[in-house]
Amino acid sequence: MIRKTNKFVLAVCVLFASIIASTSFAQTIKIGVDGPFTGGSSSMGVSMRDGVRLAAKEINAAGGVLGKKLELIERDDEAKNERGVEIAQELINKEKIVAVVGFINTGVALASHRFYQDAKIPVINNVATGTALTKGPSFPFKDAKDVFVFRTSARDEIQSPMIVNEAITVRGFKKVAILADSTNYGQLGQADLIKALAAKNITPVTTEKFNVGDTDMTAQVLKAKSAGAEAILTYAIGPELAQIANAMAKVGWKVPLIGSWTLSMANFIDSAGKNGEGAIMPQTFIQAPTTPKRKAFIEAYLKEFKPKNDRIDSPVSAAQGYDSVYLLAAAIKQANSLEGDKIRLALEDLKTPVVGVVKTYNKPFTKDDHDAITDKDPVMGIVKNARVVAAKGQK
Amino acid sequence: MRFKFLALAAGIIILSLFPIFQTNTYYIHMVERILIYSILLFGLDIVVGYTGQVSLGHAGLFGVGAYTAGILYFKLGVPFLIILPIAVIVSCLFGALLALPALKVVGPYIAMVTLAFGTIIQILINEMTFLTEGPLGIIIKKPIIFGFQTKEIHYYWIVLAISALSLVVINRILKSRLGRSFEALRDSPVACDCMGVSVYKYKVYAFIISAGFAGLAGSLYAYSEQYISPNTYVFELTVLFLLAIIMGGRKTRLGAIIGAAIVITLPQLLGDVKLFRIVATALAFVVVAGSALLISKKMSTVRKVAVPVIGTVGLMAFSYLIKNISDWRLSIFGFMILLVVYYLQDGIVGFVNNFYMRIFSSKKSARDQIDVGNFDKDDAIISAKNSSAPDQLLNLKSVLMQFGGLKALHDVDLIVKKGTIHGLIGPNGSGKSTLINVLTGIYVPTSGTVEFSGSSIVGKVSAKIALSGIARTFQNVQLFNEMTAIENIMVGLNHTYKSNLFEIALNLPRFKREELAAKQRAYGLLKFVGLEELANEEARNLTYGKQRLLEIARALALDPNLLLLDEPAAGLTAPDIKELLLIIKKIKDKGITIILIEHHMEVVMAVSDVVSVLDFGQKIAEGKPKEIQNNPKVIEAYLGAQTT
Amino acid sequence: MDIFVQLIYSGIALGMIYAVVAFGYQLTFSTSATLNFGQGEALMLGSMVGLTLSNLGINYWLIIPLVCVFGFLQGTVVEYLGVRPAIKIKSEFGWIMSTIALGIIFRNFAENIWGRSTFRFPGPFEDDPIKLFGANILPMEILVVLGAVSMMLLVEIFNRKSIYGKAVVATANDRDAAGLMGINTGLVITFSYALSSLTASFAGVLISPLTLAGSGAGGALGLKAFAVAIVGGLSSGLGIVVGGIILGVSETLTGFYVSTGYKDVPSLIILLIVLSFKPAGLFGKTTIKKV
Repeated sequence: MIRKTNKFVLAVCVLFASIIASTSFAQTIKIGVDGPFTGGSSSMGVSMRDGVRLAAKEINAAGGVLGKKLELIERDDEAKNERGVEIAQELINKEKIVAVVGFINTGVALASHRFYQDAKIPVINNVATGTALTKGPSFPFKDAKDVFVFRTSARDEIQSPMIVNEAITVRGFKKVAILADSTNYGQLGQADLIKALAAKNITPVTTEKFNVGDTDMTAQVLKAKSAGAEAILTYAIGPELAQIANAMAKVGWKVPLIGSWTLSMANFIDSAGKNGEGAIMPQTFIQAPTTPKRKAFIEAYLKEFKPKNDRIDSPVSAAQGYDSVYLLAAAIKQANSLEGDKIRLALEDLKTPVVGVVKTYNKPFTKDDHDAITDKDPVMGIVKNARVVAAKGQK
Repeated sequence: MRFKFLALAAGIIILSLFPIFQTNTYYIHMVERILIYSILLFGLDIVVGYTGQVSLGHAGLFGVGAYTAGILYFKLGVPFLIILPIAVIVSCLFGALLALPALKVVGPYIAMVTLAFGTIIQILINEMTFLTEGPLGIIIKKPIIFGFQTKEIHYYWIVLAISALSLVVINRILKSRLGRSFEALRDSPVACDCMGVSVYKYKVYAFIISAGFAGLAGSLYAYSEQYISPNTYVFELTVLFLLAIIMGGRKTRLGAIIGAAIVITLPQLLGDVKLFRIVATALAFVVVAGSALLISKKMSTVRKVAVPVIGTVGLMAFSYLIKNISDWRLSIFGFMILLVVYYLQDGIVGFVNNFYMRIFSSKKSARDQIDVGNFDKDDAIISAKNSSAPDQLLNLKSVLMQFGGLKALHDVDLIVKKGTIHGLIGPNGSGKSTLINVLTGIYVPTSGTVEFSGSSIVGKVSAKIALSGIARTFQNVQLFNEMTAIENIMVGLNHTYKSNLFEIALNLPRFKREELAAKQRAYGLLKFVGLEELANEEARNLTYGKQRLLEIARALALDPNLLLLDEPAAGLTAPDIKELLLIIKKIKDKGITIILIEHHMEVVMAVSDVVSVLDFGQKIAEGKPKEIQNNPKVIEAYLGAQTT
Repeated sequence: MDIFVQLIYSGIALGMIYAVVAFGYQLTFSTSATLNFGQGEALMLGSMVGLTLSNLGINYWLIIPLVCVFGFLQGTVVEYLGVRPAIKIKSEFGWIMSTIALGIIFRNFAENIWGRSTFRFPGPFEDDPIKLFGANILPMEILVVLGAVSMMLLVEIFNRKSIYGKAVVATANDRDAAGLMGINTGLVITFSYALSSLTASFAGVLISPLTLAGSGAGGALGLKAFAVAIVGGLSSGLGIVVGGIILGVSETLTGFYVSTGYKDVPSLIILLIVLSFKPAGLFGKTTIKKV
């Protein structure tokens, strides 16, 4: 037994020695990138990562920030909350990152943000949209003196009224059904939708739930149909959204599909095919060269990553990811420091405008508002011929 | 004993000093999680290593523990020190809920039931939003103990203390009668039942104890991660647990700790391509060097080591080829499982032990030896002379045993008198073994009555019947192979214990007393059959003849009124048979009734008081040995029909 | 009433999908008392290979035999790498772990080859539903039911009529005796795995136009099919069809009348109940243990 124990102690020592040896002190600025690069929401994660990579590459080619190159420490959270927690601890304590960008899944973000907050490391949340990440009654740091979480995506609180507005005001529906997935994303989004509907004195005729990975949505669609819904409002991700569209076609029922920005995901558009045509969603970015910056971004992205059919899997994620790095770089430059607190202060008071893909960021954040996207920014997109285009009547 | 204690103490001291020297909370937290997983794996090892069952439901039980803690903390604000025991109890209840249906079945069915159970737990956690907050998860703060807000480092020490405590408790449980019963039921379930140790009951015990540890680990995990959500407790986690236990090594605590360390550091390793290259290179080097050493010592052939060498070198080459490891993480994970299942069956601990033994030829038994001391008790066998059993100890009336269309026993009447040796003979397939199986509850007769000691045993389970005083041996020896001779007998002595789980865990006097008494009796029984020299030898290493004798000694441990010997002389040499006859007579002198099934006629005729003959499931003759030998019906049955 | 009929249709179609996959479990379990925990992945591979062929412009009906050939080979690989060594070393749960591991590896390879997204699998029919007794049904759903049933019938006929099939049945009844009679039982087991993956691949092509194809499609389906195989009994063809329909219908009905979140629960509870009271399955034969 004593010999066994000795062996064990030796093994532990070797293990730690090898871990410690591998952490070196490089002359780079380490930026953490956290997102799901495998699994169901990976198309958003990978597009976001590619956008981040593109921005970092451009910045480094132009000489980096403060004379140092940006080094991306990418970690796959597998859309699992507990992986996000592990990664947060690793990035903070082991990799000693300066800041982190990413987060696709609201649940992962909720679970891991507090570690960065405690360690005073700025987070730029570039895809996750759950309102509670930056605002609202269930915002975990609402009592904190300084908040280190920023966001460059359109939070649900912005998206839901747009969705509701489209269904109720623009189209004049009175009876709508909500279909949302069972994740944090779907459930929090559903709550925001109900709130936005209530503001117009409407209660949904039914709210239905499904799990990620479900392949048959007949039951949910039938329930919405038998409740007499005139439109379906969705909060879910690509594959399941496609199943909803397909199930509607199957039961021979055609009502408009209006939902969160994820209706623009390539795997929804492709999988739903003609059943997905006409789906409407708020977008911060549509893959169309409407500004010079957008044109340059799209060209660079297509050249660098060569997506299928020249269509970015999730253009919104790519653009927001890209912008988040530029915002961070600007803040580091202005702070002239790698200290988290100084970067936060710089972000809250960016002196020079940053030309981004989504928009030109002119003082995007303040002390009290950590959301770069306001309700003016998103437009409604519509699926047409397997691409997202600006909906009629949009600028 | 002292060495072990010192080693454990040294390990605990090193680990408790660890956070003082390594102040980075990341590494402190990592070791903390290794310790928490170790607790779960200690428990899982009972099920997987000792009882030999697969559980794909432990992630669910881990989740039950975590959520019990989370809900009590979040909804009711219950303090940490009260939460822990409640989490253990709740998990035990769920473990029982799982075990009751699961353990009626075997093999892939168990895998399936436990998997289904785990899935249901996960769905319930996800759906019961009013209780569990659903997919949102619950945020938990580090515990406050007596008004003191703990930090990572304090919590680390708490976890360390609890895991050390778990280690001690689990060691005690596994070394006690419970541990022996668990191992026994894996090696031979049927023998276990016939020794009065109900396989079903003990499997359920094993599951419940295991669930308790899983729950404890779960609740500690909730405080450690400070966040719990339903999608943690999924199938992948269960696979990870199983990988850990198999990779580390079954049936050793050290193996569980190593396994936990590996699966915790695995995501790190597989998240960083540079680190992965270093490790893959080191692994390839170790395997190549080890193989070279084995070949040079002529202990292995080039052919045998080819696959692991090619595999690990290939892995190394692969690690330098890929740029992005996260994409291939799962493949590497799967590859590791395959490697472990085929080349590291005994786990790392077992492998290192074997390697040591082969290289240095140092004989080192993997199991702890039972110290038998110098006891000698002639009265190891409890006499059955004074028992109040009726004169007709066993009474069968028109017993019918039907398998489909086949009547294995047909209208058999049999009376066995107390204190006699009753021979039972017949050609192959005549129903002798079927009869024994009916008597020991393995088969339930289709119709007819079986009375033993004046009460019916039809429909009673094997273990009950065994405890009421019927012991048996088996035609094809059914020993507990991986246990020592003396442990085999101590399984039979399970019925002499009265101490419960808590007395075992706390090592209380009554338990100690009972353990000592059992050891002494077991040693006495070994002496009775002349195997005392081999007390600490594993049963599978004994010669065939000795195995048969050990089976008889084990059967006697049950203090039987009736002993069923199923072909005890089969495969024995002439001197062995002589020894056997002597032993049978000695048993009879103790007043124990014997039913003897045997093909060696001289054995049957030499010792039997009465002989019954079965043919095609029917009793064709009965009487004194002399009469039977001359009975024409018997001769016909044995030699075939003769024309008259 | 319309809705009820609609739910029953959906449930039957779903159940038949489970049944085809479950059938694969049955094939290997009968010959080797082991089964492939990566059966769902075999199905996924079949559908992804089918999709690749379809993108090359090959006709749906022609894809089916090609994918069947692929499935046959894939099953052989699984048996050779995962099951044969485990049977050889008589490891109690070695094969459980190794087939799980192979499943993980196959899925990861598929992720790296085809990406992680889900794709539309073009079926042979238009997507327009047909009205039948007041409810809609897709032509593809009818094809799934017919395809599943005919697949099972074909294998049954093969087992009864051909000499290979008889060897399979003989091995299923008593492996040792079959070995003594000169049957190469190792080969029979390999063959049963090949056949089992073939049915899974076939099922993959059959159902993908309904369920979408993607590298993550296997896992959940494999698990459900497992439940069906056990509820129906691992030794009964009829049991699997009945088990599949019971689980499929209970799923759609629960989804509609209770809550979609709980739709998997009844099937799992049915599974637990069946195992508690009739471990061999509803239609399975109870075996006698020998001592």
